[in-house]
Amino acid sequence: MLSIPLMAQTIISGIVTDIKGLPIAGANIYLQGTYDGSTSNDSGQFYFSTDETGDKTLIVSFLSFETFELTTQVTVMNKLEIKLREDVNTIDAVILSAGTFSAGDNSKVSVLKALDVVTTASALGDFVGALQTLPGTTTVAEDGRLFVRGGEAEETQIFIDGIRVFTPYSPTTNNIPTRGRYSPFLFDGITFSTGGYSAEYGQALSSVLLLNTIDEPDQNKTDIGIMSVGATLGNTQKWNKSSLSVNASYTNLAPYLLLFEDRNDWQKPFEGASGELVFRQKFNSGLLKLYAAFDATNFELIQEDINIVEGVKFKLNNNNLYFNGSYKGVLSDNWSMSSGLSYTYANNKLGIIDNAIDNTENSFHAKVVFKRRFNNRFKLNVGTEYFATKFNELFESSAIQQTPLRFDNNISAVFTEADLVFSKKMAMKAGIRAEYSEIFKQFTVAPRISIAYKTDKNSQISLAYGDFFQQPNNDILKFNQDLESQQTSHYILNYQYNWDGMIFRAEAYFKDYQHLVKFNTDFPAFNSEFNNLGDGYSKGIDLFWRDNKSVKNLDYWVSYSYLDTERDYRNFPSAAVPSFVNNHNFSVVGKYWIDSFKSQVGLSYAYATGRTYTNPNEVGFLNATTKPFNNLSLNWAYLLSPQKILYFSVNNALGTRNINGYQYSDTPDVNGNFNRRALRPAADQFFFIGFFWTISEKGTDNQLNNL
Amino acid sequence: MKRIITILILAFTLALNAQSNFEKGMQKAFKLWEDNKLNEAEQFFERIAAAEPDEWLPNYYVAQINSIKSWNENDLEVVNAQLTKAQDYLNNAMAISKDNYNILVMQAQIYTNWIALDGRTYGMKYSAKVTELYNQAYALAPVNPMVILSRADWNMGSARYFGQDTKPFCKDVEKALALFEDFKPELFHPNWGRRRAAEILESCNK
Repeated sequence: MLSIPLMAQTIISGIVTDIKGLPIAGANIYLQGTYDGSTSNDSGQFYFSTDETGDKTLIVSFLSFETFELTTQVTVMNKLEIKLREDVNTIDAVILSAGTFSAGDNSKVSVLKALDVVTTASALGDFVGALQTLPGTTTVAEDGRLFVRGGEAEETQIFIDGIRVFTPYSPTTNNIPTRGRYSPFLFDGITFSTGGYSAEYGQALSSVLLLNTIDEPDQNKTDIGIMSVGATLGNTQKWNKSSLSVNASYTNLAPYLLLFEDRNDWQKPFEGASGELVFRQKFNSGLLKLYAAFDATNFELIQEDINIVEGVKFKLNNNNLYFNGSYKGVLSDNWSMSSGLSYTYANNKLGIIDNAIDNTENSFHAKVVFKRRFNNRFKLNVGTEYFATKFNELFESSAIQQTPLRFDNNISAVFTEADLVFSKKMAMKAGIRAEYSEIFKQFTVAPRISIAYKTDKNSQISLAYGDFFQQPNNDILKFNQDLESQQTSHYILNYQYNWDGMIFRAEAYFKDYQHLVKFNTDFPAFNSEFNNLGDGYSKGIDLFWRDNKSVKNLDYWVSYSYLDTERDYRNFPSAAVPSFVNNHNFSVVGKYWIDSFKSQVGLSYAYATGRTYTNPNEVGFLNATTKPFNNLSLNWAYLLSPQKILYFSVNNALGTRNINGYQYSDTPDVNGNFNRRALRPAADQFFFIGFFWTISEKGTDNQLNNL
Repeated sequence: MKRIITILILAFTLALNAQSNFEKGMQKAFKLWEDNKLNEAEQFFERIAAAEPDEWLPNYYVAQINSIKSWNENDLEVVNAQLTKAQDYLNNAMAISKDNYNILVMQAQIYTNWIALDGRTYGMKYSAKVTELYNQAYALAPVNPMVILSRADWNMGSARYFGQDTKPFCKDVEKALALFEDFKPELFHPNWGRRRAAEILESCNK
């Protein structure tokens, strides 16, 4: 009785094709949980017999296609016509690329690789420096921050593991470029978006920079770096489910300045100490990361000033603490979540001439995002976040004792975003973000959408639109909180062409600025009258070309940006081109590996047209332009052994005497002329020598990826 | 009572049957492989893997076949898909069998394939991991000839790249070759590398 059904054989047969009906040869067809199955032949047909009975699941799978499943009576599994859908997650599928530069491994998507960020000659180990070689950024050499598509530096926000960094840059003073606070050692994913970014990110008018800390370090190791400007020491310990990386660095410019004097009269050269720590703990279905960074910097100098004969005395003491904890986990087959919080404490003590300023910012950010995956083609995110800032400033001078300036700024937000993949050729992301600002009692709604379409095997076009809101910065809010959010709308059209180690991107954009803050004094102050009546526009074209295949061991990229922008904001009497804008920016970065010398030599060249300044000897506002900016930087990394690297670099090798702007005297001379002083970099050239040594049990790792 | 015994016998027979099914299946898959029907062998291993959720071996072989197939493939997208598939199946194997030196070695080889595919992108990312994996495998199985051989092979490649002497690793290969003499892995367990060891040793003695 038992043996009868076991003996009965059923024939399973059919044909496997793609959506267009073309046969798929070599597909794997089988009954789940059994060994019964077959392979489709050249015309897509298959045929096999089974002893199974009743309801079974037939599986049809083929590389780069979505697996097909059919559960039914085996007796009806004959003459089946099975159409397989292409897997939309494969490498050749369309990607949403408008506005975004990713640095990662996925060679198709990324424009820069993580390694590039730190092997660019002009960057001097600062990842912000490397991003300045990408199109869409402008050359503001004396500042060091990212100015994106006609936006001010503060319009770019930086996030670590999805959580906002409130004070990403080391504070500095006029004409001394700042650096990113965080060491490139600890990050492995960098996404730089110059517009049209996801609804997950708010409070940024122009751009976001997303940094992800390394999930799992490779091995236990100690990194030692000795540099002409200081030293670094790092250590990584790995355990079964957790790991800890610590990194400490000390910078002191005194010895360097003894050898190469610059234009500043340093009373106490720049000195900084910083420490970073990353702890990671793996759980069965999630990963917890804790990141903490502390840094303290101080310096004191006298800077030349045309109106003050003895110069301007400037003193700064900064302490900054940043803590960030994030958790990413899988909740079920289709649900996952990520959450995090950060806390920032930043204290600046400044002395300017005989005025003392002491300000403290305490900021907090918490965020949680849930992700629901319906299938390969439809995913939905829902999230909420809260930002809280407490700002407090004391100002003291011999003349006035001012009452403390303080404000609390809290923002709550919700956002949701859908990812839709229609086919391998077409994908869309649509989202919406709503924010409520307690300080302004203002509610804003920002839609974002981006669509990409693959025009052929190697090229695609993308479109993006988005509204972005951002509050005025602390320098304004500390004087006036009766304002509203500033706003931009981005319209982006992107074309991308990829071909075996080469990538070409062209992007055209238009940005419409509304509700920019205006005031009626030279700088924001007590007696300023503020309003939100400013506006502006910015439009341009960004081109990017990268090639690492045509010449063996040579990798290079070329960027060009054209920017046309005007804005009427701050104390502008009318719409004008702001002084941080270059109309044309051109840059080339090249890296060449010389195998026989175990060396990588690099070059980077930047050219930017002049920037505006106001010449009071003539009529008008921002009525003149400086001469163009030129910088050629060179570097050389030499591998002494797999674990020891010697590194040299020189910034502005040709010693071009660049001018960033002019300072005019407040009063005319006897002839009625306003005299001026050129604002030049503190030093035209900068040299850097470093020795980097990695000590690990395995003896193969090195810090080349840190240079 | 009779009923219970019948059920017990039935259950027992079915268990035996399942066991022999696995063996028969594996034998058939290896036969296909020997006959150079690589795709059919791979698909058979996939079926076994799907039917036997507690067996790491079929998953391991799907990973290995995809890894091997990627060597002779020129289409970058296909290589990418193959290595991704290899990694997926190796992840399954890893989930079934923890601290398995065979799986660690295969993981190192998949990473090595990525490095071979695009050294500029993956060299920095994976080379330290590969070294780490071989060291882990060696700690688990210090007398396994496949582990010793793969580790020596990788170390020689690294040394060659940095212009260092590869000779110190020759004695490891020699040792591996000697261990292969008496190497008798369990049924269906990985068993490869003799020819490679002989090849390397030949170049050592030149």
